[in-house]
Amino acid sequence: MLLDPAIRDWVLIPIMIVMVLVGIVRHQVTVLLNGTPKKADLKSARETKALQRCGILRAHGVHIPEHAFHARKAYLSEAFEKGTYLKEPNAGNKPRGNVMQDPAYVETMMDGMKKNMMNIVPQTVIMGWINFFFSGFVLVRLPFPLTVRFKGMLQRGVETHDMDVSWVSSLSWYFLNLFGLQSVFTLLLGSGHAADAMRDMQAMSTMGMGNAAGPNLTPTGQPQDMHKIFLGEKENLELTEHEWGLENVETRLLVKYGKKPASVLLDQKKAKIAKASGRLATAGSASSATVAAPSSAAAAASKKKGRRQV
Amino acid sequence: MSGQINPDDALYVDMFIAKNGQTMNFIRSSYSAVLGLAAGTLGLTNLSGFIFYFVGSAFLSALIFVIKTKGKSGLYFRKSLDVFTEGVFGGLFSYILFWTLLYGIIHVYD
Repeated sequence: MLLDPAIRDWVLIPIMIVMVLVGIVRHQVTVLLNGTPKKADLKSARETKALQRCGILRAHGVHIPEHAFHARKAYLSEAFEKGTYLKEPNAGNKPRGNVMQDPAYVETMMDGMKKNMMNIVPQTVIMGWINFFFSGFVLVRLPFPLTVRFKGMLQRGVETHDMDVSWVSSLSWYFLNLFGLQSVFTLLLGSGHAADAMRDMQAMSTMGMGNAAGPNLTPTGQPQDMHKIFLGEKENLELTEHEWGLENVETRLLVKYGKKPASVLLDQKKAKIAKASGRLATAGSASSATVAAPSSAAAAASKKKGRRQV
Repeated sequence: MSGQINPDDALYVDMFIAKNGQTMNFIRSSYSAVLGLAAGTLGLTNLSGFIFYFVGSAFLSALIFVIKTKGKSGLYFRKSLDVFTEGVFGGLFSYILFWTLLYGIIHVYD
């Protein structure tokens, strides 16, 4: 089957060029609409940073000495408990007003709407344009075969029953461009560009998240109760055991350079586990609320013993 | 926010991991577009085109692995095998686009 070269010159290539140009325009318009990102106010920044700080302490606590870790742990636990870092320390008691009247919330909604419009409008216009002028055109042949199942989708508007499925209509060429041009936009506009259709989908589903200026929203659009998150984080923190990163460091060094057999480390680990389980048995009788303090003291004691043994 | 934090994760700086991922994406985007142009010009069809893509991107991964990460891709990615998998299927779409375009222009219209 032969296609008229005029179709190539006036349909195939123009559709591609138009889609690239529209993507670039969309990127620029989005940049214009968004303007400069708003500064987060002090209180809400403090709220998120407190959580981050706790996360860092939990992840990197092994690198600081035992007493420093416990001082931080106690301080953060207390702050979380009392809600020192909350944006509105007393908001927990009073009922929440209608979220639609919260200006920050409305603004986040508007931002999401703007992004949605920027996504939907150009795509609808291009699809309409292609459907209006080029419906029923056979544009190109895919270089790979497809099953008959795709016939209805790829050859819409082309009423030929016997034509091979790999000949596709103008609308399929549009979809091929829609997905394939993502990487072209990455090359043209740099990553994080606004012409990415898939990223927009994600932005839609997690609307408002990551926007430090707005209120913290769950994906369903409800403001989160930060105090509850703080309390959850506090519980995580309490569960974190301190295990100093430099424990047995001299043995580890000797093992690493082959001066001692690796079994030494295993033995030490076993001894430590045995000690820890013994400690748990004694601590189990104590009430759960006061476990933290005595067990930390026990840990300190056992660590001293361990160091002397080495 | 909840759950245990894996201490191994702390060894990587998220920002750098993301930056490396972006660089990989950039390389793969341009590479798969060029690969698609090549495949279309050669007139590859069916399976041979897809084999061409996967062989080509395996070659690219090997180049990055040997030259850019000097065999230690674990230093730059969370998993050392990420250098072989990151962005391969993202590049497939643009490969198909350019493959179809050049194949159409050269071998279908003439």
